[in-house]
Amino acid sequence: MPPLAYHALMGFIVLNAVIVMVTYVTLLERKFAARMQSRIGPYYVGRPHGWLQPIADALKLMMKEDVVPTLADRRVYNLAPIAFLIPCVLIFATIPFAPGLGVADLNIGVLFFLAVSSLEIVGLFMGGWGSNNKYALLSAMRAVNQIISYDLPFVFAALVPVLLTGSMQMSAIVSAQAGLPFVAYPIIGQLAFVFFIVATLAAENRVPFDILEAESELVAGFRVEYSGMKFALIQLGEYAHMLGTSFLGALLFLGGWLGPGPAWLGPIWFLLKAMFIFLLVTWVRWSFVRIRVDQILAISWKLLLPATIVLLLATGFVVAVGGSRVH
Amino acid sequence: MSTNGRGFWGDLSQLTRAVGRAMGITLKNLGRKPVTVMYPDSPRPYPDRFRGVLALTYDHETGEENCIGCRLCEYICPPQVIKVEMLKTEKRNYAKTFTLELYACEFCELCVQVCPTDAIIMMKSFDLATSDRREMLLDKDRLHAIGLDFAPSWATGNKLRDMQAPPKPARGEAKGPATAPEGRAVAPEGRAVAPEGRAVAPEGRAVAPEGKAKESAE
Amino acid sequence: MPDVEARHIVEVGYGGNERLMMNMGPQHPSSHGVFRAILVLEGETVVAVDAVIGYLHRCHEKLAENLTYVQYPSIASKTDYVSAMTAELAYVHAVEKVGKIEVPKRAQYLRVLAAELQRIASHCLWLGTWCLDMGGALGGGATVFLYCIREREMILDLFEALTGARLLYGFHQIGGTRYDLPPAWVAKCRETVDFIERRIDEYEGMLEDNPFFLVRTQGVGVVSRELAQEVGLSGPLIRGSGVGYDVRRAEPYSSYEDFDFVVPVETAGDCYARYRVRMVEFRQSIRIVRQVLDGLPEGPISSRPGVKSVGQVRIAKGEGYGRVEGARGEVGCYVVSDGGAKPYRLKWRGASFSNLAILPHVIPGHKVADVVAIMGSVDPVFGEVDR
Repeated sequence: MPPLAYHALMGFIVLNAVIVMVTYVTLLERKFAARMQSRIGPYYVGRPHGWLQPIADALKLMMKEDVVPTLADRRVYNLAPIAFLIPCVLIFATIPFAPGLGVADLNIGVLFFLAVSSLEIVGLFMGGWGSNNKYALLSAMRAVNQIISYDLPFVFAALVPVLLTGSMQMSAIVSAQAGLPFVAYPIIGQLAFVFFIVATLAAENRVPFDILEAESELVAGFRVEYSGMKFALIQLGEYAHMLGTSFLGALLFLGGWLGPGPAWLGPIWFLLKAMFIFLLVTWVRWSFVRIRVDQILAISWKLLLPATIVLLLATGFVVAVGGSRVH
Repeated sequence: MSTNGRGFWGDLSQLTRAVGRAMGITLKNLGRKPVTVMYPDSPRPYPDRFRGVLALTYDHETGEENCIGCRLCEYICPPQVIKVEMLKTEKRNYAKTFTLELYACEFCELCVQVCPTDAIIMMKSFDLATSDRREMLLDKDRLHAIGLDFAPSWATGNKLRDMQAPPKPARGEAKGPATAPEGRAVAPEGRAVAPEGRAVAPEGRAVAPEGKAKESAE
Repeated sequence: MPDVEARHIVEVGYGGNERLMMNMGPQHPSSHGVFRAILVLEGETVVAVDAVIGYLHRCHEKLAENLTYVQYPSIASKTDYVSAMTAELAYVHAVEKVGKIEVPKRAQYLRVLAAELQRIASHCLWLGTWCLDMGGALGGGATVFLYCIREREMILDLFEALTGARLLYGFHQIGGTRYDLPPAWVAKCRETVDFIERRIDEYEGMLEDNPFFLVRTQGVGVVSRELAQEVGLSGPLIRGSGVGYDVRRAEPYSSYEDFDFVVPVETAGDCYARYRVRMVEFRQSIRIVRQVLDGLPEGPISSRPGVKSVGQVRIAKGEGYGRVEGARGEVGCYVVSDGGAKPYRLKWRGASFSNLAILPHVIPGHKVADVVAIMGSVDPVFGEVDR
C-alpha cells in the first residue's frame, strides 16, 4: 500500500478510535469519582452501569441550539473550538500503539508531541476573548499564564526519559525500557514521573490547578458561553489532550506496550498503563481543593521549574557517566 | 508555600504526608458501599411520623366520615390552604365541602394537631408530582381517596395532643412521676384504633405510675 | 471604611491597571443563596466590594403580625432554613420571655438536643459547601461536599423520625416542644453521633495539614478583634477573632448551664481560625448531645399542651428580646406584644445579616479566588439575611 494511503488510513482509524475512547473515558472518570464519593454515578442510561451515557450526552449536545452571544466576535468565537481541538487530537499522530502500528513514528516524536500539545493555548484564548464575557476573559488570561508556566516543567520532565534513551523516537524509548521501565530507575525515574504527573495536572487544568474553570468562581471559565456542538468539541479536545498525555506518560515512564505475554497483547498493556495514569490523575483531582492562581504560578516558577532543571542536569550527568541506552 | 517556617524540606514532607493522607481517604471511600438508594426501584423506608400528603379519614367501625366541619384546621392553617363549609344535620355535623390547596401547603401538621376527631391526617407518602397544578387542589373526594391509598402516618390529633400532655393519672397517683417516654411512646403505637385504644389506655397507664411511685419510694 | 465608589467606577478597558467591575451576581454557584456582590477588580485584586441583598425578602416580620403565636413557629424555621431548630427556638424563646411562660425541664433538654444536633448538621453543610466553593464542583471540593452531606443525611433521618420532616420542622411551640422522642430513638441517636464523630476525623484528615487547603485559608480574610466587635459579628466569626462570646454562656437559656462544654476561641482571625472554631464546635455539640441523652428527665414536654384553637396562646402586654446561639451566630427576636394572640411587632436579628457586614471591610485587597473562601467562612444563609 502506498505510504500516503497507509498513513491516511491509519490517521482515520486513530482519529475515530480516539474519539470513541474519549467519550468512554468520561464515563470511566464519572464512575470512578462517584465510587470515591460513596455514590454510583451514571446508572440509568444503558442499565446497569450507564454504558450508553456518553452516547446520550453526545446526542444531546448535538441536538442543542447553536447560540452565539450578541456582541461576541463571531469568527473568533466560532473558530476557537476547532483551534482548540486540532492540536489536542493531532498529538495522537505520533504515538505508536505497538511496534510499527501508529500513524507516524517520527524520529522527533516527543518533540512534536510536546510542541503541538502546547498549541491548545491559542484556541483557549480565542474562546475566552471571543465570548465577550468578563468571566471567560479572566479565565482565559489565567489559563494562558498557567499553561505557559507549566509547559516548561512538563517538557523537562518528559525529556528525562529522552536523555536516558538518547533518542526522541517514541518506539526507541519504549524499546529502551525492555529491561526496566523508566519509572523504576532509581530516584531520577521516580522524581521525573512525579514531576510529570504534577505538570500534567497543571497543563490539563485539573484540580488542584484548575483555576481556569473554577466552577465556583468563574462558572466554567472560557467555556461559559459555549453550548451544543462547540462545547462538545471543547470537551472532546480537553479529554483528548488528557488521554494523550496519559499515553505519553505510559510510553515514557511505564514501558509502553511491553509486558508479559504474546506480542499482540502489547496494545492492551499500553491501554491499561495509560488508564492507570489517567486514573491516578483523576484520583488526585477528586481529592484536593484548588489553589489560587498566584500560588499556582509560584509553585511552577519557584519550585517545579528549578526542580526539573536540576533533575535534567542530574540525568545528563548520569548518562554521560554511565552511557545511554540507545536502541 | 505554607507559612509555617519549617524550611523547605519540612514543607515538602508535610505536603507529601498530606497528599498521601487525603488520597488515602478517597481510596478508602472507593472501597465503601455507595450510600445511594435507588429510588424508585428500591422503596424508601418512611419513619412512623412522616409528614406526607394529607387525607381525610373514615371512622373505623361505622365507616362514616370523621370530619365534623368544625373548621379548626381552617383557622389554624398558617398559609390558609384549607377551606371548609359545614353542613348541619340533626345527628351530627359534616363538612359540605373541604378543599385543600396542596401546592401551597407547608406540611406543618398543625391541622392534624387541632382536629378533635382525628379526621385529617397525613400519610406516609410524598409522591405528589403531577403535570397539572389543578390536580393538587384537593377536594373532599380526593382527600378521602388518598386516605385509602397510602399508609397513614402515626400522628393523629388525639395522639399528638396526648403526647404533649400526659393524660391525668388515676386518682391517688396524682403526685406520681409522669410515665417514662418509652412507656408513653409505646402506648400510642399500640393504639391502632383510636376509640377503643383510648378507653383501654388510662387503666393501663394507671398501673405504671403506681409501679413507679413504689420504686421511687424505695 | 473602604470607599463605596463601586457604583461610580466605570469600566474603561481591559488594559493593565484599569478597573474592571465584575458582578458576582445573584445567580452564582457559590454565592450561598441569592446574593449579589459587585466587585471592582484591578487585575486579579479586588479593590472594592458592594454587597446587594434583598433577593430573598419574604416579609417575615409583617407576616408574623398576621399569624398567631401558635401558627408562627413553623414559619420561623424558614428564616435560617439550614439550621431551622435554632431559628424556631429564637422565636419561641423570645415569646416565652415576654409572656413569662415556664418551659418544663424535659422540654428544655429536648430543645437543647435538637439545637445541638442541628448545629452539627448545619456545620456539615457549611464544610461541604465551603470546600465545594474552594475546590470546584468537579474536584476535591465535591468529594468533601458529598461526604458531609452523607453525614448530614443521617442527622436529618433522626429528625425525620422525631418530627416527620427533614428540613423545616415545626418542632417547637410556645411552652415547650410539639413532639416527644419516639421509641428506640435514643439508641439510634447515640449510634449516629458516634459514627459522625469518627467521620469528622476523616474530614480533618483530608483538610487539616493539607498545604493546598492551608494556603487557601491561612492569612485570608483576617478580621481583627476590634473590627469584629465594631461591626457586630457573632458566632464562629467573632470567636475566630479572639472574643469568646457565646450566647449559651453569656445568657444561658433552656438549661444550657447544666451542660459542660468548651467554647472554642481562636485568635488568628483568618478563615483557618474560623474553620478550627467550627470543627471544635462539631465535637462539643456531640459532647452536649451525649450529656443530654444521659440526663434526660421525665416530664411533660409542654406547659401549653394540646393547642386546639388558633388564638389559644395569648401573651401579656410587653416587649422583650430573646436570643439564642444559632449555628451562624446570635439569632435574636424582638417581640412587642399588645396582649393579644398575635404579636404587635416582631423583629428578627439575623446572624448572617450582621455577619455579612464584614465583607466590605475584609475583601478589598484579596484576590478574586479569596472572595469565595471568605464568603464560605462567613457562612451566610440568605433566609436570615433577607427574611
